[in-house]
Amino acid sequence: MRSLSRPTAVVAVAALLSHSVVPVAIAQEPLQAIGDGEGEVSIVAWPGYIERGETDKAYDWVTSFEAETGCKVTVKTAGTSDEMVALMNEGGFDLVTASGDASLRLIAGKTVQPINTALIPSWSKVDERLKAAPWHTVGGVHYGVPYQWGSNVLMYSTDVFPTPPTSWNVVFEPMDLPDGKPNQGRVQAFDGPIYIADAALYLMTHKPDLGIKDPYELTEAQYKEALTLLREQRKIVHRYWHDAFIQIDDFTNEGVVASSSWPFQVNILKSQGKPIASTVPAEGATGWADTTMMHADAPHPNCAYKWMEHSISPKVQGDLAAWFGSVPSNLEACTGNALLGEEGCKINGLDNFEKIRFWRTPVAKCATQEACVPYYKWVTDYIAVLGGR
Amino acid sequence: MASGLAAPTRPIGLRGRLSDLLLSRPGVLVLVLLAPPLLWLGVVFVGSLVALLAQSFFSIDEFTGLVVREFTLRTYGELFAPANFDIIRRSVLMAAAVTLASALLAFPIAWYAARYARGRLKAAFYLAVMLPLWSSYLVRIYAWKLILAKEGVVTYAAEATGLMPLVDAILAVPGLGGPSFSVSTYGTFIVFVYLWVPFMILPLQAALERVPRSVLEASADLGGDPRATFRHVVLPLALPGFAAGSIFTFSLTLGDYIVPQIVGTSTYYLGQVVYVQQGVAGNIPLAAAFSVVPIVIMGAYLMIARRMGAFDAM
Amino acid sequence: MRPLDHTRLAPGIHPMTTAVRFSGVSRHFGPVKAVDEVDLAIEPGEFFAMLGPSGSGKTTCLRLIGGFEQPTAGTIEVFGQHVEGVPPYRRAVNTVFQDYALFPHMSVIDNVAYGLMIRGIRKVERRALAAEMLDLVRLSGYGDRRPAQLSGGQRQRVALARALVNEPKVLLLDEPLGALDLKLRGEMQTELKALQARLGITFVFVTHDQTEALAMADRVAVFNAGKVVQVGPPEEIYERPRTRFVADFVGGANVLEPPIAARLGLPAGLYALRAEKLTVTAAAAAPGGVHAVVTDVDYQGATRRYRLALDGASLAAVAPASAPAFEAGDPVALSVAPGAAARLEG
Repeated sequence: MRSLSRPTAVVAVAALLSHSVVPVAIAQEPLQAIGDGEGEVSIVAWPGYIERGETDKAYDWVTSFEAETGCKVTVKTAGTSDEMVALMNEGGFDLVTASGDASLRLIAGKTVQPINTALIPSWSKVDERLKAAPWHTVGGVHYGVPYQWGSNVLMYSTDVFPTPPTSWNVVFEPMDLPDGKPNQGRVQAFDGPIYIADAALYLMTHKPDLGIKDPYELTEAQYKEALTLLREQRKIVHRYWHDAFIQIDDFTNEGVVASSSWPFQVNILKSQGKPIASTVPAEGATGWADTTMMHADAPHPNCAYKWMEHSISPKVQGDLAAWFGSVPSNLEACTGNALLGEEGCKINGLDNFEKIRFWRTPVAKCATQEACVPYYKWVTDYIAVLGGR
Repeated sequence: MASGLAAPTRPIGLRGRLSDLLLSRPGVLVLVLLAPPLLWLGVVFVGSLVALLAQSFFSIDEFTGLVVREFTLRTYGELFAPANFDIIRRSVLMAAAVTLASALLAFPIAWYAARYARGRLKAAFYLAVMLPLWSSYLVRIYAWKLILAKEGVVTYAAEATGLMPLVDAILAVPGLGGPSFSVSTYGTFIVFVYLWVPFMILPLQAALERVPRSVLEASADLGGDPRATFRHVVLPLALPGFAAGSIFTFSLTLGDYIVPQIVGTSTYYLGQVVYVQQGVAGNIPLAAAFSVVPIVIMGAYLMIARRMGAFDAM
Repeated sequence: MRPLDHTRLAPGIHPMTTAVRFSGVSRHFGPVKAVDEVDLAIEPGEFFAMLGPSGSGKTTCLRLIGGFEQPTAGTIEVFGQHVEGVPPYRRAVNTVFQDYALFPHMSVIDNVAYGLMIRGIRKVERRALAAEMLDLVRLSGYGDRRPAQLSGGQRQRVALARALVNEPKVLLLDEPLGALDLKLRGEMQTELKALQARLGITFVFVTHDQTEALAMADRVAVFNAGKVVQVGPPEEIYERPRTRFVADFVGGANVLEPPIAARLGLPAGLYALRAEKLTVTAAAAAPGGVHAVVTDVDYQGATRRYRLALDGASLAAVAPASAPAFEAGDPVALSVAPGAAARLEG
């Protein structure tokens, strides 16, 4: 792929993703040298991703950056990947912490620019598994710096499960749980179409005949099977969650005992002394990996590069991992971080990397199959599943 | 002004001239006052509405998922796909049920406030009705989630009074029930009614306040017992208030996308599907078509209300 | 009292029974005695007026008959039946409200037919009856209009028709002409009176306007401070007021305090003297007469109204415009015809 000239690569990506006939402009050259800071940098980020100690004094990785570089950081939080894409399309921002289901859209839409890794000294310390990950590297061109990643876990009540459940079947199929009572009305599922991939992942193990190779690349037939599984699941699901705090409340007040979840909720419930634990079952899990990407028309490119360098420093990575329940992209962070602790990276799922299928936007033109069901169909059908159809 | 001319009074400044103009030509004044709101209505409001309508006549390419900017009715056709039509039906039924319940709940309160409350009591009434509107909508919904939770206030009260079998029976009703009130259609309904009932009480109270006591006495005088008076006089005269209130409760329920996310069975309502289709799916045409639905429904609703004479007493 | 034509009375009404009888009726609102131990007897077929200033209890009395108020004490009978505790919708009386109280959401015909509808009379039938009643009040053809599309006088007649269509034993009218302009008021007075004479129904009407009461009623009850102070035919009320209040309120008569009465040559006591009964002549023509000074003159077309000063008291006199005219400051002589002054009780 390295032999491909850059503009050609972009055309290829655009065609791959959208199959559109929109003419593609030539991508701009990345910065060749970092100059003086422009005095500020603005970032679109997930809530909790960029902390300046306002929630908890111990978690602050902005103040020191501002003092060192003179770049004042402003953060615009976004709750969904779509909101991030929309904000970036509006423009005026320098950076975004994009997940895999947003990053490729941003690249294809030429909203973000290639980055010059030579200008980021810590690039060499980035986890080898992430350096050329397909959600930010297209045609050998890097469109961002890996920030953090994590996995969706199976959160469960230790009161009900004396030993960790080994399969996602406790949330997918009607059954009696170890406490002798049925799981109906006591398990949850994620309220997002991307959850169809979780069902597909489950089928990869339990119905190998379907030939699912990638849970984000489903043929019509595979997709139908996933929906059938989800329709059955509908009958036992208590509530479909998408707000972390609602789920925390449901595990506290609603008698919910098992659900796909994020380490974030697990950590909070544990810190409240609740009998909660999490696991990644045998089937593996879906997950997310976020990348700090730079806007094609970033108004403050020098400060943006300075932040990207700062963002993968061990201190920031370790503190953030401790705060968010995620895994650092710079593994130096896993040792000697007071907030994260020595076991922190392991607890948050460092060793699960190979078991994780990272979120991606399903597209019609897919690599592993002839043709795949595109994301917008996922949306409509998942709404129908929730509606009992 | 030539110096040779006699100037009997001191010269009139620009401001003076302006006031003279405005005073002598009231039309100019009206125009000056109305221009900004009219521009706002015309450009921002109608403009965005037209843009929305235009979007709904586009469609999404089945294969690429990109918006095709060509006129088609296909997107509207999609509304009638069973899953989508479910959402419309569910939302309309919910809005109707919420409206009806709000009306039933609001009437005695509005009646009392309009006919009996005076002075401080009346001020207290307004405060009580408006107070919830001052606090955050989200906080109130979350509060309800806790009240209705499986281990919440309702369950606690039911257990304490031995009514748990009743609660279980109510929650076992297929289609409406669920594991707990907060995860059932009842919960969504209760929270909607709670949220919108002030919007029913106030117009209803205003309508009832306009009914003179003598008209009620006249009905009694002509032989109408309280029930007949209610049916033939109070109800028709309260109708404009009901109509105004129901426009609020109906359309607010139809458009809301927060409540069913927090309290309910996770099934989608119109507001949510618009939000998800435009945001998550990027299917702006379908989102636009879906948002035309409440407009059409409200239009039809108002027309029927007019036919039924809801605005006759206005 | 005028002779009553009992043959016109609705069937079933016994001519011997009193139409409305109040016995020791009081209605108190907290400390306020709106009606205070009133005794009244209204005869069948009578046009009875309750006259008094606002707050005198006349409207409360009407509402007591209608059933909108309940007496604190005493009993009320309507054609011999006790009605205490009987709600308005079970009383054989109907009311024409001061503001007419028409139903704004109904057409005129439906307004008129309302009472019939409540009684369960079929639509065709009740509309026919209502149309007849609209004929009676000269509003044929207005049936499909809304009350808002009518003038004040027309609304008044609709209210009248709406009440009369129920064939009430007693019709109550609360300030029925109060909201009308002067000319219309005169017309309606005549019309109401003719209607009453034709139907023979007992009319009880409340007014604060003494000319209205005098012009229309067979008998007038004058109210003051919750009490009935005098009941009688208009002539009697006007000519023979019994108290200072009646004398003053009905027609604004001069109330002669004993010293002034003595000066005018009347036996010791308090008297009412109508202004037109006080004769004014030039002082020079009657050197030995009672002398007063004109303080003010109002020319009123057919008459002149004088304000006179006599020993520090102020008196009113009305003289025909054809009589010699005086101006303010002129000395005049006063005289009272024998029997013109009415002795007051106090």
